[in-house]
Amino acid sequence: MNDVPPFAMTGGRVRLDGREVLRGVDLRVGAGDRVALLGPNGAGKSTLVKALLGLLPLSEGRTEIYGAPPSRFRDWKRVGYVPQRLPMGGGVPATVREVVASGRVARQSRWRPSSAADRAAVDRALEAVGLADRARDSAHLLSGGQQQRVLIARALAGEPEVFVMDEPTAGVDAASQAALAATLGSLAAQGRTVVLVAHGLGPMEDLITRTIHLDHGRILREETAMRKSA
Amino acid sequence: MSEMLSYEFMRIALVMAVLIGLTAPAVGTFVVQRRLSLLGDGIGHIALTGIGLGLLTSTSPTLGALAVSVLGAIAIEVLRARSRSGADVVLALLFYGGLAGGVVLTNAQGGGANLQSYLFGSISSVQASDLYVVAGLAVAVLGIVALFGREMFLLCQDEDVARTAGLPVRFLSVLIAVTAAVTVVIAMRAIGLLLVSALMVVPVAAAQQLTRGFRSTMLLAMGTGVLSAVTGLAGSFQYDLPPGPSIVLLALAVFVAAVLAGAVLRRRRTVTAAAVRPSVEAEAEVAGG
Repeated sequence: MNDVPPFAMTGGRVRLDGREVLRGVDLRVGAGDRVALLGPNGAGKSTLVKALLGLLPLSEGRTEIYGAPPSRFRDWKRVGYVPQRLPMGGGVPATVREVVASGRVARQSRWRPSSAADRAAVDRALEAVGLADRARDSAHLLSGGQQQRVLIARALAGEPEVFVMDEPTAGVDAASQAALAATLGSLAAQGRTVVLVAHGLGPMEDLITRTIHLDHGRILREETAMRKSA
Repeated sequence: MSEMLSYEFMRIALVMAVLIGLTAPAVGTFVVQRRLSLLGDGIGHIALTGIGLGLLTSTSPTLGALAVSVLGAIAIEVLRARSRSGADVVLALLFYGGLAGGVVLTNAQGGGANLQSYLFGSISSVQASDLYVVAGLAVAVLGIVALFGREMFLLCQDEDVARTAGLPVRFLSVLIAVTAAVTVVIAMRAIGLLLVSALMVVPVAAAQQLTRGFRSTMLLAMGTGVLSAVTGLAGSFQYDLPPGPSIVLLALAVFVAAVLAGAVLRRRRTVTAAAVRPSVEAEAEVAGG
């Protein structure tokens, strides 16, 4: 079972509005890998992440999540997705706890109310990102960095095996950077798989096992980090 | 009050008002968060054709409205998902078609005078049999919200995240639209098709001035909905006004009051936060350094 990689893309191409944004990407993310996708704006990093998750269709090539094409993949509780930001929507508020608790939905039955295990997982997630004291506040009134932590906590609450994070560090304050690095550290200790999009790595550098540099929708180069001490 | 309750149609109408006050804002909370505030309006227009069909074929106008508005809601959702750019115009065509079709059909049947009561609501015409239909539909709507609420919440927060949680995104989107359509039919007798969607949107807009959470917004909006529906109905009986507009004006008054109260509340919170903030930041620095 372990040799089925969380993500495998071969020759992946994506067209958006007639423009080719991803131009033939081969990428395999193995279990326990912690991959950083780096590159300038418009390099195709977010597009690649969305294509890996099946949120954007490929115009050519194929991609699989744990061996299945995204449209036929069913075991979504193994995957946690952290988007770039918390959309405002129509402006109906939601508390930090409500947003984080919604990360449990893949593990819950429609017919049962939230269990003690659900609540405990939400508590742990809030604790992990240092927002336990803000649980009852409106998520949209937090700072950008804190909102980012809310989104990470939502993914953590679902206890997935793979974390896919789209620019978790963009415009984030120092406290949130530290919280993110700490979270990544504990994910690394648990052997979870991480794919993250970033401009630079900063304090996370030691926790990343592979960096992939993208530009103009192609992989420029790939580096496997030399572990200083494993 | 006791005089009002001595009329059977008023007793029925008051129960209906409570049901409408509960269901419309409950569905409305999801509809507003999905930025579909005008969805109810569109469905209301489409439902008119159903009423026309019901009258023309001498079956029930309510059933006609239910069938046509549910189909309309599904059509709207499919169009929205299919075409990102042109959907706007297609929806407009659907709405105008529904309204015009309804007017033509009711007139063909000779029920032109009846039209007004469907457009703006009329309680004197409600019967016990209407109440059973409305109550059944209200139970169905609230049941759907209770059962699918968690999934609908995530869908309304972020459709991509909902997809990666394995939720049936297409089904849930259609479910929200269909639930809104059923709510339109629930409310059309008392409030009228042109104002139905106000009771889905206005109580939610009022509640969100004062709340911090989704659930609390929904509950407060339902409270506001019941309050405006019951008071508006009683007022319309007392002063011989049309019920729909009275209910909507009351809900709008609550909204204005909520905006003012919310402004005061936020200012007070900011003042308290500013008083607390320096010590918190100092602590953070100690911890960080």
